Amino acid sequence: MLSFMLKRIAQLIPVFIGATLLVYFLVFATPGNPIDALSGGKPMSDATRAALEAQYNLDKPFWVQYGLYLKNLVTFDLGTSFSGQEVSALLGRAFPVTARLAILALLIESVFGIIFGVIAGMRKGKWFDSTILVASLIVIAVPTFVLGFVLQFVVGVKLDLVKPTVSGAATWGELFLPALVLGLVSLAYVVRLTRTSVIENKSADFVRTATAKGLSRRRVITVHILRNSLIPVVTFLGADLGSLMGGAIVTEGIFNVPGVGHLLYQAIQKGETPTVVAVVGVLVIVFVVANLVVDMLYALLDPRIRYA
Amino acid sequence: MRYSHASKAVVLSAALALTLSACGGGSSDTASGDGDGSYVVTANTTEPQNGLLPANTNEVGGGRVMDLLFTGLVSYDAKGAPVNELAESIESKDSQNYTIKIKSGQTFSDGSPVTAASFVDAWNFGAAAKNAQLNSYFFESIKGYDKVSAEKSKEDKMEGLKVVDDTTFTVKLSQPESDFPLRLGYTAFMPLPEAAFKDPKAFGEKPVGNGPYKLTEWNHDVNLKMDINEKYDGPRKAANGGIDFKVYQSTDSAYSDLQSNNLDVLDQIPPGQLASYQDDLGENSVNSPYAGNATITIPSYLDHFKEDEEGKLRRAAISKAIDRQLIIDKVYQGGKSIAKDFTAPVLEGYSDDLPGSDVLEFNGDEAKKLWAEADKISKWDADKEFSVGYNVDGAGNKEFVEAVVNQLKNNLGIKATAQSFSSFKELRAKVTTYDMSGSFRTGWQADYPSLYNFLGPLFGTDAGSNDGKYSSKEFDEKLSEGLAATDPAEGAKIFNESQEILFKDMPVIPLWYQAVQGGWSTNVSNVEFGWNGVPIYNEITGK
Repeated sequence: MLSFMLKRIAQLIPVFIGATLLVYFLVFATPGNPIDALSGGKPMSDATRAALEAQYNLDKPFWVQYGLYLKNLVTFDLGTSFSGQEVSALLGRAFPVTARLAILALLIESVFGIIFGVIAGMRKGKWFDSTILVASLIVIAVPTFVLGFVLQFVVGVKLDLVKPTVSGAATWGELFLPALVLGLVSLAYVVRLTRTSVIENKSADFVRTATAKGLSRRRVITVHILRNSLIPVVTFLGADLGSLMGGAIVTEGIFNVPGVGHLLYQAIQKGETPTVVAVVGVLVIVFVVANLVVDMLYALLDPRIRYA
Repeated sequence: MRYSHASKAVVLSAALALTLSACGGGSSDTASGDGDGSYVVTANTTEPQNGLLPANTNEVGGGRVMDLLFTGLVSYDAKGAPVNELAESIESKDSQNYTIKIKSGQTFSDGSPVTAASFVDAWNFGAAAKNAQLNSYFFESIKGYDKVSAEKSKEDKMEGLKVVDDTTFTVKLSQPESDFPLRLGYTAFMPLPEAAFKDPKAFGEKPVGNGPYKLTEWNHDVNLKMDINEKYDGPRKAANGGIDFKVYQSTDSAYSDLQSNNLDVLDQIPPGQLASYQDDLGENSVNSPYAGNATITIPSYLDHFKEDEEGKLRRAAISKAIDRQLIIDKVYQGGKSIAKDFTAPVLEGYSDDLPGSDVLEFNGDEAKKLWAEADKISKWDADKEFSVGYNVDGAGNKEFVEAVVNQLKNNLGIKATAQSFSSFKELRAKVTTYDMSGSFRTGWQADYPSLYNFLGPLFGTDAGSNDGKYSSKEFDEKLSEGLAATDPAEGAKIFNESQEILFKDMPVIPLWYQAVQGGWSTNVSNVEFGWNGVPIYNEITGK
């Protein structure tokens, strides 16, 4: 088990280097000069331009730039933004906010998704099942930004139940509405995945055996059906955590959440390579770790899976 | 300030609002006649792009904060007229040598005195190459700028600046410039306390100024809180209890906050709400012109558009082929006004009927005629494309450029195309290296309220923002003549004469003047927008 984990964590290193190299190159290759964005089209003296290009290594060839970046990375220096702030400080502010948002979204989608999915699966063809199927289809079909704007307008502006935007503190309470919007599409998938899986397992031999043994219906559902039905769901949720964090740009924009989505968007627009690479780097780590956790959960859920 | 990324608006705006606790502060809802002077106003902004140093702030997010945080020799009133702030007097007999006296007994909010040296040192700091300040070119008129601004220069004192005594200093320019005193209200010319030079980076995070407000908190990407500066004693005294600038990522979210009274003042309405915001907000909305314009630049290095007879005919034809009012009505819901010159209507000396300005009037038949005349000189191949470039990351650019292109197609019968660029920086990189294959959208927002600010930097030979490489000896001479005038009104008259040359040459095609579309909540009153489209924050009161 331990050696399996270590092996997986060691895989992080090449994945991380490969991803940062690729992203660094992509930002490098985007057309235009970041200094032109800084000057905003107003004149700039040659001396100022030269000094800024030197300060951000923009005057050096790609491999030198990337080499310098890696060299600093070893000492945990993530570089500075064009506004002169440490990228590590930017990340330190934005990541906890987005992490809270993503975790809340993940909780909403897994709790409600699994509960609704099990009920729908157990009552296949009844009114609850049909309603859930139609509702989830609608949610999947409607783009997130439409959902976001509508909920914000109805709940925030018309009913005035919550503030339309999130404050700088970005508390759990304030993040509930954005997290709901962020997690709603995934929730629909989780419901459908759970439902299908439950329906499949309902007629499996081990369930019939459990029922024949005289176990209570509750125990049959939770321990025998649900546990076995969770494997595809957990796979989906694990991969989804990363997507939720990286894909929160739209939701963060609608609710003005000061998270990584905003940071990343701004940095790409400005051509601020160190910030883009750092954000993507952390997202890569989140993805890899989430996948590792999913693999560990397999062993818990299915007794047949063991990691030597 | 700078070109707007979004053609629509003024500026990227952003936002504000604040948390409950912040707004609270006591009595926000007392309904008195004069308004509540202790109410803390929330307003939208974008995150300042740099540390808050005067010579390094060149965009609106930082600029609006700097205007409240600092006060210079002059400030501008709502109409853009200069008002003496710290200046006791600014005198010059020849528009080249200025003697500036400042009021005595003025201090920064930390108690350190504002002296003549506070200005001289700050300007020298801003100009010196080693400090790499974005606004350094603002000091280029001062004698000695070329030495301190040369690449790798170690010098940081311009010979044109001399401290005479604590309250007097002299400025010598390298040539006469009559609108120099007008510039002195721009952010780059603010004074700095000595503490700023020891560690400029730290100072930029926690600036200490001498304006009507002081910055008490700056939570990056979230908000900037400004409190009253009790030591300020000038014409812009605060009528409220402070300003809380909230950083917004999009104007859409700011607009939602405005509608639910979580934001008091918004200076940019999102494009999707332009058709309905005046109905939504009623009396609490505004649509007024400010000192900015939108243009299409046709570079003189393009074939068929050189500075010769043919080029002039083609440029006039294109200008006459565009029905500006129709585009304003369809794309901007009527929220802008058509351009009548190369400057902007809120400026002193502006005129809407300069000789030659009829080239800006839509006339499809005449446009065709002019184009045909140009064809006689040198034929425009029927397959040849005329492109108009724009950046897709600015809201509204695509819509108006495509409208222009369609009109050129219909009215001139040529193959006109819209050429998209993925980002502002991509477009600007091609523009600044003179590598464009067609025309492109441009625009200018005034740094300070002066006709010259719209003419010199854009059309002077080899000027910093002369994107089309326009060059006219006659025009340059007129500019110098205007700058040498000792009376500002006389100067404005000559600058307008220089525009008559531009109407013949048409280095750019003026389209329309910019207008600010804004709104405010029911919690505040006395909201007015200034000559530059920025709300006059210090006059806002609570209800």
